[in-house]
Amino acid sequence: MNNERLKSITLGLVVLVGMASAALLVRWADTLHPPVDPNAIDERLYVNDKTARRMSLGFNGLAADWYWMRSLQYVGKKLLNSTGDISLDDLSGLNMNLLVPLLDTATTLDPEFIEPYQYAAVVLPAIDVQHAIRLTEKGISANPEAWRLYHHLGYIYWRQGEFQKASEIYGQGAQIAGAPFWMEGMKAKLLSEGGSRSTAREIYTRMYEQSNEEQTREMARKHLMHLDSLDQRDALRKLFATYKARSGKCPDSWRELEPVFRSVRIPMNQAGAPLDPSGAPYILQAGACEVELDPKQTKVPLK
Amino acid sequence: MEEQLRTLDAAQATTPYAESKVVRYGSLWRISAIARNAFREALRDRVLYNLVLFVLLLTAAAIFIGELSGGQERKIIVDLGLSAMLLFGVFIAIFVGVGLVYKEIERRTIYAIFSKPVGRGEFLVGKYLGLCFTLLVNVVVMGVGVSLALMYVSRGWDPLITTIWPAVLMIYMQLMLLTAVALLFSSFSSPALSALLTFMIFIVGHFSADLKVLAVSLGSASARWFFTALYYLLPNLANYSFITPAAHGRTPAAGFVFANALYAVVYIAVILAAATLIFSRRNFK
Repeated sequence: MNNERLKSITLGLVVLVGMASAALLVRWADTLHPPVDPNAIDERLYVNDKTARRMSLGFNGLAADWYWMRSLQYVGKKLLNSTGDISLDDLSGLNMNLLVPLLDTATTLDPEFIEPYQYAAVVLPAIDVQHAIRLTEKGISANPEAWRLYHHLGYIYWRQGEFQKASEIYGQGAQIAGAPFWMEGMKAKLLSEGGSRSTAREIYTRMYEQSNEEQTREMARKHLMHLDSLDQRDALRKLFATYKARSGKCPDSWRELEPVFRSVRIPMNQAGAPLDPSGAPYILQAGACEVELDPKQTKVPLK
Repeated sequence: MEEQLRTLDAAQATTPYAESKVVRYGSLWRISAIARNAFREALRDRVLYNLVLFVLLLTAAAIFIGELSGGQERKIIVDLGLSAMLLFGVFIAIFVGVGLVYKEIERRTIYAIFSKPVGRGEFLVGKYLGLCFTLLVNVVVMGVGVSLALMYVSRGWDPLITTIWPAVLMIYMQLMLLTAVALLFSSFSSPALSALLTFMIFIVGHFSADLKVLAVSLGSASARWFFTALYYLLPNLANYSFITPAAHGRTPAAGFVFANALYAVVYIAVILAAATLIFSRRNFK
């Protein structure tokens, strides 16, 4: 082996061994790092939205994408670190201080980027309703032809119980060219039965259909499951009432109602218990004519 | 550059000088010979290797961005692809642009070139066009890359594929402007200083709208005059930023593109004239 070859092999080995050692050392250093409570410490944004736009030098679209993805990661991380099944529209207990500036910056960098406004309309009402309204209105003023934003603004007011205002917003959105026919229907529905279950179903169905963002779709899907489950439990209570009228007592087990379930084709498990929209069996409160979700198995939100 | 000299020599050696191509086709032929060689030199310097990095970046984005973007992968592909196109282009325009003249001086090949019937202006314009052609190849290949990435994420034809090309054209015009600026600085300054100054022009060029606002809002007449002058003197690069609207499927109006193209042509002509003026005064004898 000549001298040059030996030198090359030695240097190659130094590179390989050195890199492996560096990787091991950094892993070791990570283990020594004091743990950080992600809910206790929130970093601050280094620059505000307007400065970020100025500094973007024509890369504002890319910078907006970056802030948008950071918003999603921020919420996702908080959800992962939380315990229990928390809905996207009820994150008030998760200390989301950074979410408003993140979404604000994303939308200032790219005012035509619709998705952050929609996300703000879904997530922010439980955290800070004024910011939710402000951001959605900011989106409407930058994109007056985006009827979806009227749908989301109407949703915020509907959540606040301001059905008259929500109806007006849907009415304004319905005037936009290309707005779907159901916007006009929502206007009337909110006026006549704003707080009803069918209005809620309509709102969440439209949200599920219109959103491209997976977390929002999942949230809408869970609300729809919850609404379906409420309807199912009402139907079961009616069945209990009929059963009690005939037999003079409430059913003690699901088996007693199995023939009825079979005749109306209600899905059941092997024990004859009807299944909720997530596929988990309902729990019968024996002798009480009452039914409830199984908190251990169901994926339907409990409230 | 040796090749460039050989081309020029060959044209003269094979035919009597008065009948040679150099004279027959005059200035245009000499400029194209220098431009061709500047392009070949860029290829030899592996400038187009940045395309490999670009392809890797886009491939990674197309595959992984869907997980992170909440259903916005098409927008992000366009933003990322066109921004990378602009950024890589700016780096090429600056770092290759500032070396165009300096390398010839350092290698002393410039003395041999100017011993032939080549004008200073022809030399600069040829160098400029050579780099512009390199950037054109770069930009077109990257545009095709972005289109392919869009087809991948959309699983077929995507309407954004047609809307990105006007934005690509605007990026190219911006790069042409910046190359001219880099060449201007390199005609009288060192590469490091030229790169720094060109980069500063790129930054300030994107703040041109703020300069105008500043000029209007200032109380002092002299300050107002100064910032207004600066606004008109510096290249208005902000007008060439059409990446974000392109990601939303919007295309610039034909009149807007034409006006900016015309502005670019005029501004580049001015810059190259100024560069030639400065370069003509330098002594290479």
